[in-house]
This record gives sequence, C-alpha cells and structure tokens, in this order.
Amino acid sequence: MNRIQPKHLCILAIALSSKGFGFVVLEGKETLVDWGVRTVKRDKKAQSLAKVKELITQYQPGTLVLEDASAKGSRRSPRIRTLTRQIVRIGATLKVRVKLFSRDQVMKTFFTNGKGTKHLLAEIMAKRFPEQLGLQIPPKRKPWKSEDSRMDIFDAVALAMVLRLKDAKQHQR
Amino acid sequence: MAQFPNYLRSNRKRLALSQEEVAFLLGTQSGAKICRYERFAREPSLQTALAFEAIFQRPTSELFGGLYQKVQQEVAARAKTLTNKVDREKPNRWTAHRRQILADIASKSLN
Repeated sequence: MNRIQPKHLCILAIALSSKGFGFVVLEGKETLVDWGVRTVKRDKKAQSLAKVKELITQYQPGTLVLEDASAKGSRRSPRIRTLTRQIVRIGATLKVRVKLFSRDQVMKTFFTNGKGTKHLLAEIMAKRFPEQLGLQIPPKRKPWKSEDSRMDIFDAVALAMVLRLKDAKQHQR
Repeated sequence: MAQFPNYLRSNRKRLALSQEEVAFLLGTQSGAKICRYERFAREPSLQTALAFEAIFQRPTSELFGGLYQKVQQEVAARAKTLTNKVDREKPNRWTAHRRQILADIASKSLN
C-alpha cells in the first residue's frame, strides 16, 4: 500500500543504554513523528541491531543520529561502543547518513557553559515538545535508584535537536 | 511537506492512548488493525478515517498528510489535463470561470 515518499527529510535518533535504547523520529523542522523505548533482554547486541534495523526500514530516515561513544572523555561501556560501531555499519549498508555527536557537544548546544544535568536536559526537551513529551518526563532520579528507561527518549530527542540546530545554523550562513 | 502516509502513531501517543483503546473507540475488535494503520501496511476506510479525526481532533488531511499530498498531486495533474481540454472546447459564458477553478486546483500541487 502506501510507501513513504523518498524525501529523506526525517531524522532517526537513537540513544543507547544498558536496558536497550530510546529513539525518536523527527520530521521537518520540529515534528515528532514517533518516539519510545525498546528494551532488550538476553543477547542484547543481536536484539538491539534487529530493532534498529526495523526502525530504519519502517521510517526510511535520511539521517541516523547516535551518541559518539568513542569520543574523548566518553565513559560509555565497551558493549555500547561496539554496538554504536555496528549501527554505524548498518546505516552505511542501508545508505543512511550517520551523524555522531559526543555528550559534550550535546551539552554545549543546550547549556551556555556546557554544564548541566541529564534531568535538566530532559526538562528542556519536554518544554520544546510539551504535547508529546510533557507527560513522559520521569521524576528526578534519587541517588539510590536506577535511571528510568524513559530518559533515553529525551537523550535521543537532544541528539536529533543538535543536528537540527546545526543544520539551521548552516542555512543561516 | 509530509513524508509519511499518516501520523496516527504520533497523535495516539500525544493523547497517551494505547492501540487497544483506540481500537475500542473505533469499534473494532483488537489493536492489531491500528498497528497495521500505524505501520502504513493498511489504509483505513472513509468511516475509520473520519473516526480518527473525531478521536484525535485533527483534520483528516493532516492525519493522513502524505496520502493527502499524493492524492492532491494526482488531482492537480488531472486538472491540468482538463484545462487543456476546456481550452480546446468552443468557449461559452462558463469557460473563464471553469478555467479559473481548474487553475486553482492545479496550482495546489505547487504548494
């Protein structure tokens, strides 16, 4: 039936985590088409790759955005680093442009001195997309509690927005 | 410009409704059908499309953005063909009016 028009206007941003990954699909300037969390248990690598492939096939994004896990100062685990490399390879195979942004780049985009917390970043994203993400924001994490998996959605939105803002800056020049 | 045939999933998530709940509102058996609509694997009937408009409070042309644009472009192309046909006909008092209407329809594809 309906095929997606091959305009390649949309961005698929993926934020990998220990439980799986959060994703957002951003179309046009600032239209959130889809967002959510994909959890993986057992054989995390194969399951994550299969789920990422599924998303790419469904939405046929023009650009895939990920966190640069091997950037200087990054403290991501070896599993996440390997998985990032493998997703980049999948992107290349499926002819999708892949962009990597380090955590520092993300923070510098949204905070003047580049210093902020994950929760503050999530609040900024929730303000930007109040209809879609306003209800998704979890309560501030207590030091003795593990992180809410929904935080991955906000990390993914932040990654997508970094690319959008960079593109907008380039257009202005 | 809309890229996707429909925006049902984003609108459903915006309202924090599950596929089963939307299926119930549509009067269907299970959420499987909603899943197929959201994955662009199936097109809803006119009645279902109007039900989606009632649920999500958004116009059908917006909910089915990509599909609407595709149909609009097809209609615009046919309007151009019909304009050429009208131009070849013997002019009468309605000709100018019809030409203007068809030009308006044809110009929609450029927007």
